[in-house]
Amino acid sequence: MSAGGSGAAAEAVPQNKIIAFGVAGGLIGIYAAYFLVDMVGQYMSFIGALGAICGMIWGAAAVRRVASYGLGTGVPSIGMLALGMGVIATTFGLAVGGIAGPIIALISAAIIGLLIGSLANKVLNMGIPIMEISMTEIATAGTITIIGLTIAMTGTFDFPIVLKQVISTGYIAVIFIAGGLAILHPFNANLGPDEKQDRTLIVALEKGALAMVVAGIVATINEGASGSLTILIGLALWYIGFSGYYERVKRDAYVVLGTGQLPTKEELE
Amino acid sequence: MIDIVGILMANIIYVIAITLGGALISWSVHFVPVGGAPAAMAQATGIGTGTVQLAAGAGLTGLVTAGAMMQVTDNMGLILASGAVGAMIMMSVTMIVGAWVYTYGVGCPPASAKVKYDPITKDRQDLYVSQGTEGHGLPTVSFVSGVIGGALGGIGGALIYYSLMSIENGLPLVDLVGMASVFAVGIFFVNAVIPSYNIGGTIEGFHDPKFKRFPKAVLASLIATFFCSIIAVLSIGGL
Repeated sequence: MSAGGSGAAAEAVPQNKIIAFGVAGGLIGIYAAYFLVDMVGQYMSFIGALGAICGMIWGAAAVRRVASYGLGTGVPSIGMLALGMGVIATTFGLAVGGIAGPIIALISAAIIGLLIGSLANKVLNMGIPIMEISMTEIATAGTITIIGLTIAMTGTFDFPIVLKQVISTGYIAVIFIAGGLAILHPFNANLGPDEKQDRTLIVALEKGALAMVVAGIVATINEGASGSLTILIGLALWYIGFSGYYERVKRDAYVVLGTGQLPTKEELE
Repeated sequence: MIDIVGILMANIIYVIAITLGGALISWSVHFVPVGGAPAAMAQATGIGTGTVQLAAGAGLTGLVTAGAMMQVTDNMGLILASGAVGAMIMMSVTMIVGAWVYTYGVGCPPASAKVKYDPITKDRQDLYVSQGTEGHGLPTVSFVSGVIGGALGGIGGALIYYSLMSIENGLPLVDLVGMASVFAVGIFFVNAVIPSYNIGGTIEGFHDPKFKRFPKAVLASLIATFFCSIIAVLSIGGL
């Protein structure tokens, strides 16, 4: 029961497990893609997008938890905030960190998130008890999303290459919107009195798969990464996500009826 | 490892300018008549979309116009003015087309539910507010307020972009533009969301009682932007 403003949301999977899934899955995906692209071949860059999807599912779960308390404004704002904090932390982490870049990015994202969460509760008096922890989670999840999709596009997180192929070309804007959509849209689309955790999170998988396909298309023009496998796996994941969502909609609906075709003009007369 | 203290001290003026720009954006959001989803159904005064979308639209237009001006001059005043004018045009166009849609499409008169008389035109408002709504359309005072908000947001965005572009670094211009844009957009979104939580998602303009809450959002934005600006200066200055 979580009707956007009613208090804490019910969870089938506890948030701590989702946090572990997001951080571990995200970091493993990012580093596995980084090393395997060197060792095995460019086509391993798709693992970065899988890491990004772990981050997106985590982000969507955190948005679901905090937005259940009622933010007073639309759910999309928090997704944009996540990617706004994430893009600052990512650029900083990758620019100064070298091989430890993603970890520095995650830590700085967590600090920015904690700071903004505390400001929201202490200065703006929002009074949401989980604001600090949720903002930390959302900023970190946004960072994993950005780094993961960046690797899927370029095959590396070495800053000079990322700067040349993702930031200067403007594909960072694609990451910003596609990743933000995967974090903000699931709860925005499902909120209401009958909202269920698994139905919300499978939308995150579906949106993440779409972002993966887009990253694959970008990867086809970069020599460091290969796009075809990313696109194929992305399409397969999208099918799993979409059909899984449809299953859950049918499960949660009271009844699903076909309306038939709209009547033609002659039939109406 | 980069020289953290050295870079910060060399660019301390830009850290302060970016922080001020963030606070300006935060303040500007309180001027913009945001109605959210109720306004989209003509059940509240203002433009029918969220704070973040509007602030981002106005601010990013300001960034683009400021960036265009930076190609021809280094004069900070001109660049800030260009950003302000760009954002003002963007806000005005959005509001005038919105007002046409509300007036001729939905068929409701522009009316504010927060004040009895429009502070600028002195027109009676409460008679024209439909029952069960919190006003609709864009009365004159909201329009003027929105243009002021656009100007402040544009100046804030341009100030951030100008400061980021002025940091000493070893990057080629095309990469510097990319880095500066990414940081400017990130800082912009953070500073658009903080005030939107402060006003609870909707506001009519400077005549709205919620406008008095702005010092809290400006304070929160000052702290948050200061941290973000340090990160931004360190990453651009360290390259």
